Amino acid sequence: MKKIVVVLTALLFVGGLVGVALAADTLADVKKKGVLVAGVKDSTPGFGYIDEKTREIVGYDVDFCKAIAKRLGVKLELRPVTSATRMPQLIAGNIDIAAATMTITPERAQQIDFSYTYFFTGQKFITVKGAVKKLSDLEGKKIGTAKGSTSEQNAKKALPTATVLSFDDYPQALLALQQGKVAAVTTDESILANLLSKAPDKEKYEIPAEIRISDEPYGLGMRKGDKNFVDFVDATLLEMEKSGEAKKIFDEWFGPKGKSGIVLQRTFKITAGK
Amino acid sequence: MFNYKFDWAIVTSGKYFEWIISGLGITLELSLVSIALSFILGLIIAVMRMSNVRPIRWFAHGYLEFFRNTPLLVQLFFWYFGSYKILPKVINDWLNTMSFEFAAAVIGLTIYTSAFIAEDIRSGVRSIPKEQMEAARSSGFSYIRSMLYIILPQAVRITIPPLINQFLNLAKNSSLAMTIGVAELTYQARQVESYTFKGFEAFTAATLIYLALSLVITGLVTLYSKKVLNPIGAR
Repeated sequence: MKKIVVVLTALLFVGGLVGVALAADTLADVKKKGVLVAGVKDSTPGFGYIDEKTREIVGYDVDFCKAIAKRLGVKLELRPVTSATRMPQLIAGNIDIAAATMTITPERAQQIDFSYTYFFTGQKFITVKGAVKKLSDLEGKKIGTAKGSTSEQNAKKALPTATVLSFDDYPQALLALQQGKVAAVTTDESILANLLSKAPDKEKYEIPAEIRISDEPYGLGMRKGDKNFVDFVDATLLEMEKSGEAKKIFDEWFGPKGKSGIVLQRTFKITAGK
Repeated sequence: MFNYKFDWAIVTSGKYFEWIISGLGITLELSLVSIALSFILGLIIAVMRMSNVRPIRWFAHGYLEFFRNTPLLVQLFFWYFGSYKILPKVINDWLNTMSFEFAAAVIGLTIYTSAFIAEDIRSGVRSIPKEQMEAARSSGFSYIRSMLYIILPQAVRITIPPLINQFLNLAKNSSLAMTIGVAELTYQARQVESYTFKGFEAFTAATLIYLALSLVITGLVTLYSKKVLNPIGAR
């Protein structure tokens, strides 16, 4: 019995440690350390991906981190995160800021703080060309997406009778579509556009323009209650919009001659407000 | 210091509790079906491995080495995605209308585990004095019948402890099925995490359930071997 108590106590202790996060002032800490640790995606083209030539992580998200680090006068350290790991990493203090294509949601906002929206997109579908005319055509079908994202929840809400299959990552979901295992792949338009641009048989598929099931404002994630840092980042974003730097970054990655090959319209402006 | 608020109610009641339970249901179904099939397949492969007919023996040997020595995750991807290239279109289309995710997981787990089970059974058989086989054959039993009625019943009894290991491994390996979209226990725990960000609670619940499941499997097999097998064996 004694042993069991000891083991349980140890387990609780370890459990407690997992939950520990330093409720400190990140802005001051980062300046003291001289380095800003940013969590970014490393396999989401356009936003955060590994450049084939330089072997470095580059992208829209990365450039925003660079701009923030520059204004802080510190070095930038990039750490790869995934949709499933970005929040735990942030809360545990392994990263200072998460710039990882993260949609601002009320549920997430209970756990972390978000900056103003720095990118805006919506959730759409890739389907076989001509197969889907309206959203209800997908009712009762299998829909593929990736784990740990908001895409899955939106799809379940919009299509209650559809079966949503969550794969480990988007390329697998696309493979399932190519093999006829799912009727559509769903997630944010920017991710879909990129996924499709790389498919060898892309002419067989389309992203129906009229079918959109959500608004996806992306925010930079920071630890809850870290007010100084959040204020600093928000001010930086507004400044970048005003100076045209934000638009320049957008065009660099998603413009007609953008580096990512994904062409998107900039239908938003960074403003005060989530 | 501890600004993480534990919220165990999330996994003990309500919607998320139902998700976890439905995940447990799929895990149970997946594990039990695969345990039964992999045991049968393992027996067959073990007998083939010990056959006197060379091509059969070689085939079994190749099967064992191949499936024991490649990662299960790769095998699951092979059955789910790779089979598309081999099978004719009609069959693919038919499979896609079914719950092929579950079927591919059962196939992958069964074949992978059967290779280990076959080796365990073979070592069990080798521990039976070979005179028993000779006696059986000279009494007019065919090879298959001697195996079935004389050797295997004894060998399986000896093999029970390592078999429990394999069954436990299988039950836990079933969590890999989430990579091909089977909504089993780990998948659901991760779902709960991504909806609530209460990963600690969700995965603790899943861990305890796996622990309970493993203990139940161990208990059942032990009980079976004590109550059903040993009395007949009269050892």
